[in-house]
Amino acid sequence: MENINPVLAYLVARGLPLDTVIMLFMLPIIVTLIAFFRQVVGIKAFGIYTPAIVTFAFLTIPKLRYGVVVFVAVIVVGMLMRYALKKLRLLYLPRMAITLSVVAFSMLILLALGGSFQRTGLASVKIFPILIMITLVEKFVGTQIEKGNRTALILALETLVISIIGFYLASWNGLIEFIIAYPWAVLFTIPINVFLGKWDGLRLSEYVRFRNVLKNM
Amino acid sequence: MEGVLKMLKNGRKILGMNARNIDYVRPLNLKKSKKLADDKIYSKKVLQKAGLPVPDLIAKIRTIEELEKFDWSSLPNSFALKPNRGFGGEGIVVVYGKKKSRDEWIKANGDILTVDDLKNHIRNIIDGTYSLSNTPDVAFFEQRLTLLKLFKPYSFKGIPDIRVIVFNKVPVMAMLRLPTQESGGKANLQQGAIGVGIDLATGTTTTAVLGKGRYIEYVPGSRLLLSGIKIPYWQSILKFSVQAQEVSGLGFLGADIAIDKERGPVFLELNARPGLSIQIANLGGLKERLERVRGIKIKTVERGIRVGMDLFGGEIEEELEEISGKKVIGSIEKIKLIGKEGQEIEVEAKIDTGAMSTSIDVELARELGFGDLTEFFDKIELPTGFVREEAQKIMKDLKQKHQHPDLIDIDIIFSSNGVSIRPKVKIEFIMDQLRIAANVNITQRADLKFQTIIGKRNLSRFLVDVNK
Repeated sequence: MENINPVLAYLVARGLPLDTVIMLFMLPIIVTLIAFFRQVVGIKAFGIYTPAIVTFAFLTIPKLRYGVVVFVAVIVVGMLMRYALKKLRLLYLPRMAITLSVVAFSMLILLALGGSFQRTGLASVKIFPILIMITLVEKFVGTQIEKGNRTALILALETLVISIIGFYLASWNGLIEFIIAYPWAVLFTIPINVFLGKWDGLRLSEYVRFRNVLKNM
Repeated sequence: MEGVLKMLKNGRKILGMNARNIDYVRPLNLKKSKKLADDKIYSKKVLQKAGLPVPDLIAKIRTIEELEKFDWSSLPNSFALKPNRGFGGEGIVVVYGKKKSRDEWIKANGDILTVDDLKNHIRNIIDGTYSLSNTPDVAFFEQRLTLLKLFKPYSFKGIPDIRVIVFNKVPVMAMLRLPTQESGGKANLQQGAIGVGIDLATGTTTTAVLGKGRYIEYVPGSRLLLSGIKIPYWQSILKFSVQAQEVSGLGFLGADIAIDKERGPVFLELNARPGLSIQIANLGGLKERLERVRGIKIKTVERGIRVGMDLFGGEIEEELEEISGKKVIGSIEKIKLIGKEGQEIEVEAKIDTGAMSTSIDVELARELGFGDLTEFFDKIELPTGFVREEAQKIMKDLKQKHQHPDLIDIDIIFSSNGVSIRPKVKIEFIMDQLRIAANVNITQRADLKFQTIIGKRNLSRFLVDVNK
């Protein structure tokens, strides 16, 4: 803590938790990372909000692997519910309400299982990250309906990958110390995003997609 | 390493998602035009007003009340039910027939649709299940298009359509989309349909891709070649595409056109964000083509079509060779005949698809080292004045009686100038760099223009272009 920015020091002295302050400064970095993945690498994920919020959910869960377990469980249950409810031919919102309820109960079971297997880390996961993950189901099921199972699963996997990378970036001590020392450096993400927003080059994934064309032109 | 460099360099010719959105869709397809493209009923009206053929609108259902009051008996025997703001072919139901006694319809796969089924589906449409961003939508019935005979063997339970990308009044790239079993009868590549590139000048198909990127030569499970399909009404299809751009104001347009058995080309829909897979089907880059057309002043529709055809057509021959693995040759070709002792003689040969076998002149045969055989054959007393029925027997007798190491067979040839009996020898020749082993018959051709004709039997590895 020897290198703390005076403004941050002032805020902390005023009673703001340092963690909260760091997270707020971390957000621009995480969302820029997601934008970079979309525009340059070509990893889509579920938009920008979902991977960002899942990243923060991971950060508040004691261990990354429990976060991943919850994520996978939510997706699997959401997928099963789609098949279970197919026959009933319900309209969208009531169907989603049932799905979310069942996912909530499944979480309860998962946490209870964690407790009984002495995985106290899993059992002690807070309610907030779990709620975040549950809302992920709507994104997932919505995509399933619009674009099919395969696409939805791919997007879910991409969201998971970006969130894990985001998690490691945001929990990297070097970066945290840098933000504490030079919080305003975060503003540098704005010109980066201006560049990303105007960049019209081929995405990395498109080199793969068009590889046969590129080779045979 | 070299391959990677080439790919990076070629990357500049491909239109990626970023460039499509930033350089084309955003600046060229304004909100008003996009709205038109996303509203099928509205665009149908606008296009029809401009004189373009569109599938007839039968009825539309905007609200649940309208649905409850709808007169189901007013529907014809076959129709397509669509969400007005649907995308990617989702939510479309096509029925092919109606039950006689009741209001029940039959789908392509034989499933029965009752009024309740239709109502449920329409409720989902109105609710926005299939619309862009799930906003409430309108359901409509339109005339079902009938499949063109030409396309029948190529498509599975659905109508193929033709996508044409138009920019600056010039058609720049086109592809034929064929529904497959995998795509569930939908002409959508993302769902597993076949995309076939089209040579813009001739309207002939080139390379084909299945789904997202597997190159194929034949319709899966068949021996139907996907290249070389000549698309009918090609000029009209290009014309409608360019006209649609004028009418819609979409600067960067993906025009979807189907061909109806009775009506000919019919405009299906406008697309403000055309997909990029068309580049895979055509094995070519859109960006490169768009840049070539940018800034050219095009005054009339006809001029635009002309420019597109001139700039982006005509490479079909090489491509055909690549795809079919067959060489394209003309009706007269220089060939190299290889003699008994390996001597090579170059001659001009006539490619004669009307003849079964290849034949050469007696003198030529002598030069190739078959002098001994020709003398031997000359000495044989050949029967004359027999009829076709006897030919088999005569040939058998001749073969038994006269044997020579070079003589591999004897042919009786019936042609417009009578019957001739000819000896056959084995000769190899090289045509367009391919070495062909042929059984060649020897005859008098001294007074004919060509000393050699190549017959059908030896042409299986070639395609003949009579204009070459």
